[in-house]
Amino acid sequence: MTSHRESAAPLVLVAEDHNYDKMILEEVFARAGITADLRFVCDGEQMLDYLNRRGRYAEELSAPTPALILLDLNMPRLDGRKVIRIMRADENLRHLPVIALSTSESRKHITEAYSIGINAYMVKPANIPDYVAKIKSLWHFWMVTASLPAVETSPP
Amino acid sequence: MNDRPVPAILDPTDCDREPIHVPGAIQPHGLLFAFTESNFQIVAVSSNLSQFVALDPDDVLGRSLADVFDAQSAATLRAALDETGATVGSLVPIRLAQIRGAEFSGSIHRHAGLTFVELEPPEHGLADAHAFFSRTSGAIKRLQAATTLESACAAAAQEVRGITGFDRVKVYRFADDFSGQVIAEDRAEGVESFLGLHFPSSDIPAQARKLYALNPLRIIPDIDYRPARLVPDINPLSGQPIDLSLSVLRSVSPIHLEYMRNIGMHGTMSISIMRGERLWGLIACHNRAPQHVGPDARQASEMVAQVLAWQIGVMEEEAVTRQTLKGKTIQRSLISDIEQLRDHRAGLARNSAALLELMGASGLCLYSREGVTTLGATPPESAIENLVNFLGRAEGAELFQTDRLSALLPEAAAYADVASGVLAVPLSRAPPRRVMLWFRPEVAQTVRWAGNPDKPVTVVDGELRLSPRQSFAAWTEQTRGRAIPWQNHEIAAAVEIRDLVTGVILRNTEKLERVNAQLARSNEELEAFAHVASHDIKEPLRHIEAFAGMLGESIRPIGDGRLHNLVGGIESSSRRLRNLIKDLAEFSQVGRRAKPLAPASLRNIAEDVVADLRQRIDEAGATVDIDALPVAHCDHNQMRQVLQNLLSNAVKYRHSDRPCHIRIFATVLPEEERRGDARTLSTRICVSDNGIGFDPKYAEQIFEPFQRLHGPDAYEGSGIGLAICRKIVQRHGGSVGVETSPGLGSTFWFTLGTPLENKTLAPERPQS
Repeated sequence: MTSHRESAAPLVLVAEDHNYDKMILEEVFARAGITADLRFVCDGEQMLDYLNRRGRYAEELSAPTPALILLDLNMPRLDGRKVIRIMRADENLRHLPVIALSTSESRKHITEAYSIGINAYMVKPANIPDYVAKIKSLWHFWMVTASLPAVETSPP
Repeated sequence: MNDRPVPAILDPTDCDREPIHVPGAIQPHGLLFAFTESNFQIVAVSSNLSQFVALDPDDVLGRSLADVFDAQSAATLRAALDETGATVGSLVPIRLAQIRGAEFSGSIHRHAGLTFVELEPPEHGLADAHAFFSRTSGAIKRLQAATTLESACAAAAQEVRGITGFDRVKVYRFADDFSGQVIAEDRAEGVESFLGLHFPSSDIPAQARKLYALNPLRIIPDIDYRPARLVPDINPLSGQPIDLSLSVLRSVSPIHLEYMRNIGMHGTMSISIMRGERLWGLIACHNRAPQHVGPDARQASEMVAQVLAWQIGVMEEEAVTRQTLKGKTIQRSLISDIEQLRDHRAGLARNSAALLELMGASGLCLYSREGVTTLGATPPESAIENLVNFLGRAEGAELFQTDRLSALLPEAAAYADVASGVLAVPLSRAPPRRVMLWFRPEVAQTVRWAGNPDKPVTVVDGELRLSPRQSFAAWTEQTRGRAIPWQNHEIAAAVEIRDLVTGVILRNTEKLERVNAQLARSNEELEAFAHVASHDIKEPLRHIEAFAGMLGESIRPIGDGRLHNLVGGIESSSRRLRNLIKDLAEFSQVGRRAKPLAPASLRNIAEDVVADLRQRIDEAGATVDIDALPVAHCDHNQMRQVLQNLLSNAVKYRHSDRPCHIRIFATVLPEEERRGDARTLSTRICVSDNGIGFDPKYAEQIFEPFQRLHGPDAYEGSGIGLAICRKIVQRHGGSVGVETSPGLGSTFWFTLGTPLENKTLAPERPQS
């Protein structure tokens, strides 16, 4: 039973289907000077496989429990919203902090996202300096200000 | 051809009661024996027996016919009865036992349990049977060669006259009401023509018509005959007077004889023209001198009448077929015209002559709340209005038809000349009521139009004289306010025309609804598309911006100004594109985000908008005055959007030389400028500024999407704001506009409906 804070680079699981968005996010993390272990999954199914260590993530070491999850709400196959519902219904997963990434600024979408149990909602900025600034503050809040729950290194 | 009561009681209603089938007598030119067939026993004989043979009625009554007739005749008679089951018209040669030389023609019939044999002296002037049959077959051929009803009837009249030698033979046709008209005539020189004359139904009363239907031929060789009584005039089986319905010798009504005398005729015969069970008409023959027609010639005449009846049947069927075909042709033309003209009224008008002819109508009216269209001769519109109201009260029936409107609606007497007959076919059952009305004139009018009798009707010294002229006068009186009745095929045609017209209307309505639905759908699709498209375009655009941003930061350390500008170009273009997409999305959302209209205080909305824009207003050093604004029927959020756009424009396009001053106020539209019903669109909301203004020639253009009067460098914005305003206001049923003057300022306005209870422009809350 170890905390990720003890490791050198906290593990951030990112569910993002778009390659450019991955590139941009990596770039933004780099520009923000954040050392994080960014692990990408392409859709909701893969994400649940990862978290439950199924399929290609069956081997324990290949899927360490993330400190933070960044989740694109609009993903193919299993949509981000469904993933959250499933996670929140799952005793082993419901404690994980999930930050929603979305392009929508719609109040309706934001409210809906919170109501199903996300921990924060972030609109993906188009402007890089804005993006960098947002990620910095986000990182600071979750990794420094907030206390995160303990995570199991392996499923019970 | 009349069987009428005595002149002393010249009341047509009495005619119908005269028991003409039991006159108790026969005409004296023949002999009548009535007997019981089982035993050949004579039960009655005519009193003129002694004029033919030296026997009194009492000598023969109770005896067998076989004793009175010679043995062979009795045998022939018995055989004829066995063979034919004779009813009317069977002829047998009869000789009386006592006068062996003379052969009579015996007509036999059975009626009311008795059998009758009526003897007439041998026919004079008739050649042999061969000549008779060649004559008859020639007549039939000539009759069948006729191509029209009129010519067939004329041929029949001619043939019957040829066979019988009467001075005048006319074909008389019954109308549905049993009034009649002479439709064909053949006459000797010097005999007055009755052709075309109409006669009232009372001329041939009901019981006479009934007799005519039973017994196809009546003859009176001499109207001055002395009737020969029946001895006894009692049917032993029933105890009633002997019924002579089927007798050829039957004595006729004195009034009929009077009528004949009046027209100077002394011999007469009439033959029924039967169409199935219906008495279609008569072939009526008159002679100035007494005229005897023997049984053979009578039979030949009857045959002509029968052939004529068949011919009429064929022609009537053909006529209906022709009429139906003609109807179809007109209907096709009507459909294509309505489709082509896109207006059923115009289509009907174009085909009105053919339609009126087809329907035998003189006028047509299409009545609806929106208007009255009339074709041909119709009553005045006010009368039609009353008529339709009257019809509306006569509920239940899908169709209404009458041939005597004034009997139902007294005021219709005023226009009986154009509309005594009315056939009303509803176009719609539910209100608003729409009716198709066909009109027919009074019959007398029709007849006059048809160019009928030459001479005016006269009443001689007020004296009651029976004559065709007087009959015509009576007929004219009888038909006052009456039209030719609507025939079944005409009613069917009217219904077909109705179905056709409503079908086209319905199709057009459906087409319109379909197009509207398609429009609504494509509009929705377009809006959905714009929404999705803008969303999907945003994605790569965001990437471009992000990459350009990163590239820009990456090259900054190099310090190459040219490179920096290039990357900056990418960034600003993508920013502009993003704004455009955002506006486009917003524009497309106007319809999708629409909420039902409800009363809302415009003043509250305006104040909220000012509060929202407070920072920008203050930065611009602008002042905003809000006058009293009414409560309006509107979508609160959208109205807020409109005012926000207009107000921010007013701030944005302020004049640099003077403090920006903006005023929001309302005016009440004068009546003539309002559109729609008075409740709506009565208020004009204005946002007035003292800004830069613009050339009024762009006053329309600036409300189009993405139309800008200034480059993007001078003023930000994609140019969608006013287009959104217009779209919202149009959704509210109002309109937008601007009054402007370059360098002086602009007043943008839009119209809105206010609730009825809110006519005054009282402020909703105290002005701040």
